[in-house]
Amino acid sequence: MKDPNVLAARRATLLQAAAKVARNVASILDPDTLLEKTVDIICDEFGFYYAGVFLIDAAGEWAVLCAGRGEAGEAMIAEAHKLKVDGHSMIGRATGERRALIALDVGEEPIHFKNPHLPDTRSEMALPLVVGDMLIGALTVQSIEEAAFSEDDITVLQGMADQLAIAIHNARLYQENQLLLARSERRAHLLDAAAEVGKGVTSILDLGELLNRTVDIICDTYGFYYAGVFLLDDMAEWAVLKAGRGEPGGRMIAAGHKLKVNGLSMIGTTISTRKARIALDVGEEPIHFKNPYLPDTRSEMALPLLAGDKVIGAVTVQSVEEAAFSDEDITSLQAMADQLAVAINNAQLLKALEEAHAELVRTKTFEALATATLQAIHWIGNKALPISTTVERLQDDLVNFDPLNIASMQEDLEIIGESARLIIAVKEHLIGPAREHKPRPTMVDDVVRDTALLLQIPEGIVSYKVASDLPLAIVDTDQLSRAFGYLLKNALEATENVVNPAIAVEVAVADGDFVAVRFADNGVGIPEENLDKIWATFYTTKGVGHAGLGLSACLQILNQIGGKISATNRAEGGALFELLVPVFTGKLPESDLPSGKAVLLVDDDDVWSKFVISLLQESGNVVTRSSDVVADFTPFDLVVMDDILKSGNSAQILQHLRNTGSISKVMVVASRMTAERATELAQFGIENMRPKPYTATGLGEILK
Amino acid sequence: MEKDTRILLVDDEPLVRRSIEKTLLRAGFDVDTAKDAMAGLTLFQAVLDGEEDVEEGPFDLAILDLHMPNLEGQDDPDAGLKLLTKLLEVESTLPVIVLTAFDEVARAKEAVARGARAYFVKGREAGLLELVNAIMDEEKS
Repeated sequence: MKDPNVLAARRATLLQAAAKVARNVASILDPDTLLEKTVDIICDEFGFYYAGVFLIDAAGEWAVLCAGRGEAGEAMIAEAHKLKVDGHSMIGRATGERRALIALDVGEEPIHFKNPHLPDTRSEMALPLVVGDMLIGALTVQSIEEAAFSEDDITVLQGMADQLAIAIHNARLYQENQLLLARSERRAHLLDAAAEVGKGVTSILDLGELLNRTVDIICDTYGFYYAGVFLLDDMAEWAVLKAGRGEPGGRMIAAGHKLKVNGLSMIGTTISTRKARIALDVGEEPIHFKNPYLPDTRSEMALPLLAGDKVIGAVTVQSVEEAAFSDEDITSLQAMADQLAVAINNAQLLKALEEAHAELVRTKTFEALATATLQAIHWIGNKALPISTTVERLQDDLVNFDPLNIASMQEDLEIIGESARLIIAVKEHLIGPAREHKPRPTMVDDVVRDTALLLQIPEGIVSYKVASDLPLAIVDTDQLSRAFGYLLKNALEATENVVNPAIAVEVAVADGDFVAVRFADNGVGIPEENLDKIWATFYTTKGVGHAGLGLSACLQILNQIGGKISATNRAEGGALFELLVPVFTGKLPESDLPSGKAVLLVDDDDVWSKFVISLLQESGNVVTRSSDVVADFTPFDLVVMDDILKSGNSAQILQHLRNTGSISKVMVVASRMTAERATELAQFGIENMRPKPYTATGLGEILK
Repeated sequence: MEKDTRILLVDDEPLVRRSIEKTLLRAGFDVDTAKDAMAGLTLFQAVLDGEEDVEEGPFDLAILDLHMPNLEGQDDPDAGLKLLTKLLEVESTLPVIVLTAFDEVARAKEAVARGARAYFVKGREAGLLELVNAIMDEEKS
């Protein structure tokens, strides 16, 4: 029996060594380093010949040598040395029985594997590595001394092995955690990038721009070498490259790069299987298209573009790194591809919608032109036809002259005359709106009142509601008056059979820098189905006496001045036409008005006469207004006369001016001047005729 | 004494209407005119019902403009075809000539398919007269 003191000292040494081993291994977090160092620390601290650590494989069948001391350990690891769990070896038994075993004279011990790499071993202890109730491996410690271990040593060394087991377990957990963390971080990064791509692409609605920007956004966000987007052709047989990063992308698109669906390419397979594919070493991957434009690609991922249950194409992302993608990456990159697919699908839908709209516009335009042409042919044909047929009849009558036919011949001549007159009358309707526009600042309400006076609409039919803060509009007053004339005439005709015909004119400020002029009548209204047709040339619902040119002329005039016109039916009955006339926003030069003059203003007491009187008086002139004949024109240096008078008789006044020799003092102004009227005025001896001015500058210019 | 051939002429263009009327009158036909489809149908029905001009007998032939106000008074490029259908519902054997301002084969075919005897593009009225005479000769034989 051994000396108790010796035994106690050995026990203390072993405990000290065990504590040291435990302390050293506990701080090593990398499992490989831990195992390598463990065997050295154990041998060094305990003075053993050899130590080795076995770990149980995933199936729990084999204890695989993972670390071994010295050259022997390296050699055995190189040979993939492993021992069957629950086998006959020391390690096999220790793991199977989960208890430590000692072989003291190993040369005689039948249970020991005679290991050629460790020929000097004379004692061995095998210790199971257990954490909780989980066996993770075994530790072998070997000595060149026979009977180096006693049963007493087991407790100490098993304590050390338990600590080692915990350290190994912790290191593994740490490694797993690190791996999980890295995966989680990568996944978060990829998802962030997916969100970034999604955000970048969903706001682009133009398909071409979307695809080109997408490949750049993907490469920039993920740091990929190349990205490309393929879309299926109409027959879904080919995936056609629509956008590719950089010069290679441009060259491939120029070359018409496309890949067969169901073919061997990554893209073709991805589309046909609707699943993402990864090729990590693309040089060896038979499914990959060896692309001469992208020689540096070492990893590729192909992702299907799925919009709902429809595959619309695929996206390829490529990296210069080998094994750049893992299966884990598929989810997050597919999330990016899904967002991209939605954006592409939306852009395609929008493009299809735009094309359908353009087609509709083309069809509608063609229909409108066809309708207008048909109407024009019908109208002109019907007006011209009686001329030729009647001439034919007249020629017969002249050849076979019969005095009884004279009345018929006279009627035929009247038919010819009337037909010709109708055709000629159309000329001004067609040409008028196309005449050159000379826009100038204009009081729109004055033009509409003048137009109603020119048309001699009976008193009481037209009522006015004019906004007090009305700005000047910028428009050619002749053309605006022409448009107002057509609308007032239409309203009059629409109310012909109404007991109390009423035309309400409203002039107001409208949104978007417009003056709105609204004509509301209490007539028959416009059949809803005709609301779109009324703007067509020669379209009329009012019978043969009408050419159907008024509203098309209005539309043309408003289009030329940058205004708008629309027609609706009023809920209370009748039609409502609204014209939007652009507001004058320019600046005018300083006015240069005369002063010290006695001015006679022949005009009604209206907004324009008040405006003129105020300006002339401010400039130091004496102004008298009259809408009737003035007995003596001698005191006046200048007579300014509005050609369109409500209460006065302009012909009578002009006659009087001529009779009194004062005609040369007269300046006639009008919001609308026709050639016929100008001729009449000239016949009176009027030399000064000007468009009615609506600004101080304009007034100064005409009175200069 | 043989009754004169009575013709219903419906056209909304007064000068065209009057000119054709004169040509037909001079050729010896009795001519009644109407300015649109509704007036034409009303006149045709009134004569048939004996409410108007019974002495001259019912209409032997109708000449209808194609594009004019329809039976609802709306401007209608097919008003003549609609009136044609109405007239044939009342008098299935009535010879009808459809008039139009311009040549259009598809419309001619449709007019004939709807029962018109002929389709005539307005122009030389002597041609219309020849057509009317030919149809009336056919009717009498």
